[in-house]
Amino acid sequence: MSDGTLLSLQGVTHRYGDTEVLTDLNLDVMDGEFLTFLGPSGCGKTTTLRAVAGFLTPSEGRVVLDGKEITTVPPYRRPVNMVFQQSTLFPHLDVGRNVAFGLRVAKTPKPEIRSRVAEVLALVRLEGFESRRPSELSGGQRQRVNLARALVNRPRVLLLDEPLSALDLKIRLEMEAELRRLHHELGSTFIYVTHDQREALALSDRIAVFNKGRMIQLGDAESIYREPSSDFAASFVGDANVFKIEIVSTGDDHVVTAEGLRLPVAEPGESLGPHHLIVRPEDIRFGPRGGSLEAEVSDSAFRGSAHTYRAACAALDAVVKAEIPDELGSADVGDVVTITWNPDRARLLPNTG
Amino acid sequence: METRRSIPTAVVTGAALFFLFAPLIFVVMFSFHSTTSLTLPFEGFSLRWYREVVDDESVRRGLLTSLRVATLTAAVTFVLGTAAAYGVSRSTSRLTGPAAALFVAPIAMPALILGVSLLSFFSERDVSLSTTTVVIAHTVFVMPIFYVVAYTALSRIEEAQLEAAADLGATPWYRFRHVVFRQVLPVLAAGAALTFIISFDEFIITFFVIGNDSTLPMVIFSRLRRTIDPSINAISSMLLFVNLFVWLIAVIFTVRAEGRRRRDVARQIEDL
Repeated sequence: MSDGTLLSLQGVTHRYGDTEVLTDLNLDVMDGEFLTFLGPSGCGKTTTLRAVAGFLTPSEGRVVLDGKEITTVPPYRRPVNMVFQQSTLFPHLDVGRNVAFGLRVAKTPKPEIRSRVAEVLALVRLEGFESRRPSELSGGQRQRVNLARALVNRPRVLLLDEPLSALDLKIRLEMEAELRRLHHELGSTFIYVTHDQREALALSDRIAVFNKGRMIQLGDAESIYREPSSDFAASFVGDANVFKIEIVSTGDDHVVTAEGLRLPVAEPGESLGPHHLIVRPEDIRFGPRGGSLEAEVSDSAFRGSAHTYRAACAALDAVVKAEIPDELGSADVGDVVTITWNPDRARLLPNTG
Repeated sequence: METRRSIPTAVVTGAALFFLFAPLIFVVMFSFHSTTSLTLPFEGFSLRWYREVVDDESVRRGLLTSLRVATLTAAVTFVLGTAAAYGVSRSTSRLTGPAAALFVAPIAMPALILGVSLLSFFSERDVSLSTTTVVIAHTVFVMPIFYVVAYTALSRIEEAQLEAAADLGATPWYRFRHVVFRQVLPVLAAGAALTFIISFDEFIITFFVIGNDSTLPMVIFSRLRRTIDPSINAISSMLLFVNLFVWLIAVIFTVRAEGRRRRDVARQIEDL
């Protein structure tokens, strides 16, 4: 389509019995993008993916692919393929036959099957693995074969349902790099589901954040991280300090709370009343004691190039999380410091809860 | 836990094994006896009783009838039982549980009752008794056993595998043939072998619903009423060998299927 939309979810709602697991989702997926559905378990992200794959028909709404409605089309007639959380290789078939499965179903000529299987195995760096049994492979290799088995069909959309969550951290990081490379080389559309915000930030062109059956924010990684639309998005994507404050007045570069604290904020706005003030740990700095936001350091952990700290701040009624590069100095447990932050990076959101 | 040798346990175990196998050994042993005597001492080895049995027209016909009935019973049970077990293993309906219990329930029915009720069922509907009615009756009798075996194997196939196959374009029938059936075939074959054995030497139900034909067990029974000589032993031994042979095939299939499954599971556990 002219505007680059490949897949479109229109007013999609899904209920199991009386429980609504997905509420009025409207989302356009662009051709060739890497889009991630991010959220905790039970947020509706997997339900959405399954509606795209065809494993469920949503209670309401439409799924449109390439301009054609496919809401009720069964999974075996959709030009999309999925990689599951757990390996779903067929144990009675070797790697070559597993990968060839979709092509054989589609009655592709034998020579073409052979060359496409070899090609896609090379793509996932498993050249010559055709005659291995799935039981002879490591977990990482198995997920690569699952990936190859989906990709060999050249799907319009590749669906990935937490495909790395069953793997060790080291292999997971390797596979992330592989996925980025594959997406780059193939230029096809990937939809990726995860509850791991680090994975989402590392992989995606755009991220859709889900919570309680609703998509609460959609944007590129940077805007999701820098401009979270809610305290949930802020604390789910990356680490965040969420301070609950009551604003009684605002200035040019600060707000004043009910307790009389003057908190620096780049864009204080005009709105008064209960708010969340969100500051990322890496934007927190410690100054010498004596300010209005004194805090006592209660924990300090080495993280390679930086230390992370926890410091109890009575004025904000919060334990402040901070991540401070070592070249900017360090603090010990028991030290009393003053909390400061970069006002440009402090985000103010009305507290509607 | 430490195990200790215990003399009473050894005695009981020995006695149990003796009572289980001694009659079988005696049957086989005296089928090779050179005289008409069925008691010790063993007076010499001969194949005369086998020759006599093989030359006997009624035994040959009985054997063929039994083979035909058992083969048909195993085949019909295989198709119907697999379909039922597959349906139940994939259903999410709340009614499935009670319905599935009905498939297994006949296992508790005495053969005598089954025989009588099938006979009255057939005669009420003017169905003439033949080997066909025997096959129907045997199918009813062995179905629960096959169903349990098939269901156990089929329910082990994860739903995710079927979803993956559907996702790759496989229609429901293609999924069953190429993903499910290929994986459970060894177990189903073992189940079919079991139903074959049961049908092959079934007597009570057969007796009620057979009409004019005779299966091998019935031939044995009628001969027993005339004479008792080692020819009976020869027939019984042949029955035993057929059963052993089929049973061996079943064991090989199951052991291989189970071995492969274990290896896969072990591998998965290793990965965790």
